[in-house]
Amino acid sequence: MGALKVVFRLLGAPFRLISSVMGRFLNTPFRQATALLVFAYLLIEIGIPFIPPLVGFPSAPVPNTVVLEYLVIAVVGILLWVSDNEERWSEFKQPIHDVLVRPDRRVARGFLFVIVPALVAAQTYLSARPDMSAPPSFRAIHPAPPSAITFQGEQIVLDGLENPLRSTGSLEEHYEEGKRVYYQNCLACHGDGLQGRGHYAQIFNPAPLNFQDGGTIAMLTESFVFWRIAKGGPGLPNEGNPWNSAMPAWENFLTADEIWSVIVFLYEQTEHEPRTWEEEGEEH
Amino acid sequence: MRVLPNLRSGGWFKVLLSSRHITFSSLLLAASLPFVPTHLGAQVDGEVVYNQWCAGCHGEDGAGTGPAANTMLPRPRDFTLALYQVRTTATGGLPTDADMLKVINEGMPGTAMPGWEDVLTEGDRLALVDYLKTFSRFFQDDPPTPLDFGRATPETDEAIARGAEVYQTVECWRCHGQQGRGDGESAPTLNDAAGFPIVAADLTENWRFNGGGEVEEIYRVLRTGLDGTPMPTFSDIVDAGVITNEDLWSLAHYVRRLSPEDEPEVREVVTAKLLTDTPLPQTVEDIVWEEAEAFYVPLAGQIIIKPRWFNPRVDGVWVQAAHDGRELALLVSWGDPSESPDTLWADFGERVLTTMAPGDEGSASGSGAADQLVVQFPQELYEGQERPYFLQGDARRPAYTWTWQSDVTGAFESIARGMGTAARQADAEQHVRATAQHADGQWKVLFVRPLDTGSEEDLAMTVGQAVPMAFQAWDGDNGESGNQGAVSTWYFLFLEQPTPIAVYVQPPVALALTLLFGLLVVRQARLGSGMVRELDASARRKRIARTRQLAGMGVGVIWLGMAFGSYQNSRAGWEAGHADLGFWWAIIGGLLAIAGLGALVGTWIHTRTSK
Repeated sequence: MGALKVVFRLLGAPFRLISSVMGRFLNTPFRQATALLVFAYLLIEIGIPFIPPLVGFPSAPVPNTVVLEYLVIAVVGILLWVSDNEERWSEFKQPIHDVLVRPDRRVARGFLFVIVPALVAAQTYLSARPDMSAPPSFRAIHPAPPSAITFQGEQIVLDGLENPLRSTGSLEEHYEEGKRVYYQNCLACHGDGLQGRGHYAQIFNPAPLNFQDGGTIAMLTESFVFWRIAKGGPGLPNEGNPWNSAMPAWENFLTADEIWSVIVFLYEQTEHEPRTWEEEGEEH
Repeated sequence: MRVLPNLRSGGWFKVLLSSRHITFSSLLLAASLPFVPTHLGAQVDGEVVYNQWCAGCHGEDGAGTGPAANTMLPRPRDFTLALYQVRTTATGGLPTDADMLKVINEGMPGTAMPGWEDVLTEGDRLALVDYLKTFSRFFQDDPPTPLDFGRATPETDEAIARGAEVYQTVECWRCHGQQGRGDGESAPTLNDAAGFPIVAADLTENWRFNGGGEVEEIYRVLRTGLDGTPMPTFSDIVDAGVITNEDLWSLAHYVRRLSPEDEPEVREVVTAKLLTDTPLPQTVEDIVWEEAEAFYVPLAGQIIIKPRWFNPRVDGVWVQAAHDGRELALLVSWGDPSESPDTLWADFGERVLTTMAPGDEGSASGSGAADQLVVQFPQELYEGQERPYFLQGDARRPAYTWTWQSDVTGAFESIARGMGTAARQADAEQHVRATAQHADGQWKVLFVRPLDTGSEEDLAMTVGQAVPMAFQAWDGDNGESGNQGAVSTWYFLFLEQPTPIAVYVQPPVALALTLLFGLLVVRQARLGSGMVRELDASARRKRIARTRQLAGMGVGVIWLGMAFGSYQNSRAGWEAGHADLGFWWAIIGGLLAIAGLGALVGTWIHTRTSK
């Protein structure tokens, strides 16, 4: 039991250190509020993007507008907390008031008088400067699929559609056929590694999809993938920017079976599971 | 019969340690299993890895004839011949394991072979090296010994000058051309060991060099040659004393210098520089182009609609642009060894066409077409971000194009609703002028067009606005024509605008306002804390008077500032040929100037007496 105590003591040490530091430095509402704000910023900017990789999802930097929005919420929350009781509120205001008024805070006051207007002026300059960047691109990566498509003159209902090859013939043969189709047609852009890094990949914008990524075919049904392959860039709805996608409409090149077999190949080669219609139903 | 050991007393360890079947080393291995890549735990089968990831191009039999092979030129390596380009060994020799691993890791730039370093584990890649060697019995011989390359000589101006001399001595130009763009006299005759046509590398694009583009890598290729290609080794003439080893290093430095320092960065926006003092360039050799920033636009084979083209000659164009407020000048430069149709290259084009057979109906049947460049814009700018389809538009949104062809003087404007549907505009509606020059394996084509042609059919360009722009290029002598050429997706052309006066006015105003606000806050806080005594009546009057004086003067200064801004706008308007804008801004400026002066003088007069 004694050993257990030592372990707990050791585990507790960092927390005791933190609380003693906090007791010494974060002893006024103003400092606490500032620390909270900094903590909130770090959590949003660094902490949150760190979470998805822990459970196996890729992550991305948080957009600035989102950071700003959450910070505004954090500021409102902190203000609510400091103004919640009269004593804390006046304690909170005290250091601000001191800087504005007290003669011995002249240096800090002067500093603020230089820094704040300079920042405002710099910000004004940046926003007034002529902007020579491309217009922003808003593009839906997985636009909503239609419920049915016309494929080579034939109506195909996509809702609830399964890959017919999964219930006929040998999966291994479909994989081999899909591999042939992939290497003869898809390779130049989507690449040997299926990461969207073929030798033409860097030339096209938007870049070819990375099938290894958990955010592409792994979260789509096979019928969605069939639609995207069959209709390609030109078949995208407007929100998918059909004018700039270099994905061909493969219905002009391949039969339905060839497309279904290449879909088998994509999932087998990446070891992803297609999303099934049951899952889809549950979520709605 | 073995009794189950007592777990709590550490019985398992005793069992393991005492067992004669388990050696200490395997115990260590077992203990370290969670920390090492799985390949050490289990023997990786190179054949499985090969068949899954490599056979699509190289074929299960290793002969380089997988399903994808005939969409590629150069073709995938035939491992059964044991001919390897990237080696540290003498020409004709086998590569070392490290050589083979380097290619697997980094790929072959400029070809379809990607790098596998972050796709396959190290164990998988090492197993692949072993498996590749089973395709040829040559690897059963003694392992090859790498050549001694010595150390790189320093990159000095003398070394580069010496390299340029060696370039002439050893006749690199026979294939690679005088400027290194692969346009030498022998270039059209080149074949690889398997008899497929092969191009002499464009030495100005080191990011596409087989085996790497840095000095050490170039030197290695000079020493070892690229076996299986016409690129020879130069070790023999060093050994024969024709040139020294140092000369070869100098040559490597010189070749490296033919390319830019870094691989060009692809940027979405091409900026057209605003020329205010210099006239708009009318020739490809104008001095303006030496200063103007060059933007690299990479191109890919048109493999989107039938008939596809997997072997584009033009892998990118350099774009420079300038305008003077009235006209736009656009200079497009790209590497192309010949002025198609060139009879010296006719056979090469035929050989490429028979080699590249995607089997799409409508594929070109003969070479000998002209070189062609199409610069494409939308016919009009749409609401939002909508654009025509990047392959020369669609039925709903037509593209407006400039076409230049090597066998026709000038260029012409067309409206297209899809690839191959371009309809040339009437002669009266032709506004674009073009001049072209072919020198040392490079085309330079200069387009000039008024920003606004006054025609409803043409895209009107506005200063300060981003206009979508895309490029397509064909090399006739490479067997390209029709849909079979090189294409890009959409980029933007931005016409630089004169810096608006607001950029200079707004920041100081914002600064002054913030400062004023700060002063007010401090003052308020002081009043609130009783640190400032209430003023008596006369002092208050004085203060009010001073405040009025300040306010009046401030208003006057701001109005004068606005008057100055109007003057600037007026001048810009006159200069851009908009007399109406110039006139009205002048009127507004004049009124503001009168008001500002009035405020200053009036304030001065009225506050002077109140002292």
